[in-house]
Amino acid sequence: MEILRIENICKSFGTKKVLRDVCFSVEEQSIFGFIGRNGAGKTTTMKLILGLLKADSGSITVCNEPVQYGETRTNRFVGYLPDVPEFYPYMKAREYLKLCGEIAGLSGKELKTRIDELLQLVGLGEEKGRIGGYSRGMKQRLGIAQALIGRPRLLICDEPTSALDPMGRHEILDILLEAKGQTSVLFSTHILSDVERISDHVALLEGGTVKMSGAIQDLKAMRSRTGARLVLKDPADTGKVLQAFSGAEKRVNELEFREMPEAEERRLFTYLAEENIPVLRFERKEPDLEDLFMEAVQ
Amino acid sequence: MRGFGTFTKKEMTEMLRTYRAAVLMAVSLIFGIMNPMIAKLTPVLMKQFSEDFAEQGFVINKITVTAMDSWAQFDKNFPMLLLVAIVLLAGCYVKEYAKGTLIPLVTKGLSRRAVVLSKLLTQLLAWTVSFCLYACVTWGYTAYFWDNSKVQNLAFVFLYFWLAGVYLLAVVAFFSSFMSSSIQVLLGTGGVYFVLMMLGMVSIIKSKLPTSLLGCSSLLTGKAQPGDFYTAAVITVVLSAFLTMLAVVLTGRRKL
Repeated sequence: MEILRIENICKSFGTKKVLRDVCFSVEEQSIFGFIGRNGAGKTTTMKLILGLLKADSGSITVCNEPVQYGETRTNRFVGYLPDVPEFYPYMKAREYLKLCGEIAGLSGKELKTRIDELLQLVGLGEEKGRIGGYSRGMKQRLGIAQALIGRPRLLICDEPTSALDPMGRHEILDILLEAKGQTSVLFSTHILSDVERISDHVALLEGGTVKMSGAIQDLKAMRSRTGARLVLKDPADTGKVLQAFSGAEKRVNELEFREMPEAEERRLFTYLAEENIPVLRFERKEPDLEDLFMEAVQ
Repeated sequence: MRGFGTFTKKEMTEMLRTYRAAVLMAVSLIFGIMNPMIAKLTPVLMKQFSEDFAEQGFVINKITVTAMDSWAQFDKNFPMLLLVAIVLLAGCYVKEYAKGTLIPLVTKGLSRRAVVLSKLLTQLLAWTVSFCLYACVTWGYTAYFWDNSKVQNLAFVFLYFWLAGVYLLAVVAFFSSFMSSSIQVLLGTGGVYFVLMMLGMVSIIKSKLPTSLLGCSSLLTGKAQPGDFYTAAVITVVLSAFLTMLAVVLTGRRKL
């Protein structure tokens, strides 16, 4: 079942067109990576889904209900983590989650149990201090907890890992993976390795339009070419190889082959042996999200 | 109006934990004590300076201080208390919009109307407690030192002064619904006050403006009657309700 469906969404700010005919959908219990450069329109798209901005045209449905600008009813299905979550610094995590839970319609024992579960999930169960003293990573984790409090069917996270150190990123991605059992996740990022690690579906936003979308495996299969990297012991030999192999490109002190079929690979090794060119490193390169991203934006 | 009770509770916690309530109460208490204290100390101070004045040719006769002098100080210090209250409370709305703290709550179903009304209710409560403290402390000390029974229409003066504060809080709510910083809100509120003072120079409408309530201390001596301010009080109530309504509508349309 589709949790979110976006059809032909357009949005302009003044004369600047930010989104043009954006279309994609998110399936139930999946993690959907929403990729794009800074300023590509990811946050705008998310705010449109939440009814915080009004689309110029197109339609958005969450759990088959249309999203309306302003106080949209569809937000009862959605949990949202803003890119820089801001909380009330004078509150403790438990107090803040109680506030969020009561607004989301929970109360009594159910709310208390839910708060305990979430604090455990995000690793803030033992934290007694006020939010004002939290690190960025802790705030991000509390942000996920508040977004999940009403058991949303769709969790929207705007660049949840962008400002974190590797450890913090790792923790957030683990929490999102764990949350997948309870909800669908739509998360935006420009860190492709994060998407590859946890997402099963992606959409790539570039220049205000979705350049590609679908299951990661399907997208990779579309570009089944295997590339290669070659590092020679003597950089002076690089020129010779470049002349002999038209598909090679020089990248600093290595040669990159965007395509390296097996026949071409055999020809390369024969050539290197015949010319007596010593090799420092040869690496086959399977297509990854970065290649797809670079292809799409070029 | 989903979340009104919960958000009001949060507003009250905020008022207490950010020490805004404590500062406002402390200022009210200090001003409240100052009113009778200044009246009481005036003859002592005059006596101290009488020799200096005598050298310059001024002769100071015996000064008699009454309860009326204490209430005259109450009247003089009230605008200062009002200013402190407005400065302390003006940033409550725009700070939330600027920082984005409302977004997680609004996306959970908190109605924007509840946000405006919760904040206004909490501010009205803080203002009421603060004004009561200011008035009660002055009343208590004045009663202790002199006799309050000679002062007339005290309840009406309290009501009209309190109402002037309510009106300015509604003005703050109105400007906060579309402005982005507390300085802008303060300037807007100050601008409204200035315009009303200017309009007060026109004799036809002078007695009908909300600012005329600040001049109600003439009731204390009996020079004016409570009825002289009825029109201004009704207009103030109507304007406050209208500004609150506008604040709710405009906040509903505000981009978060």
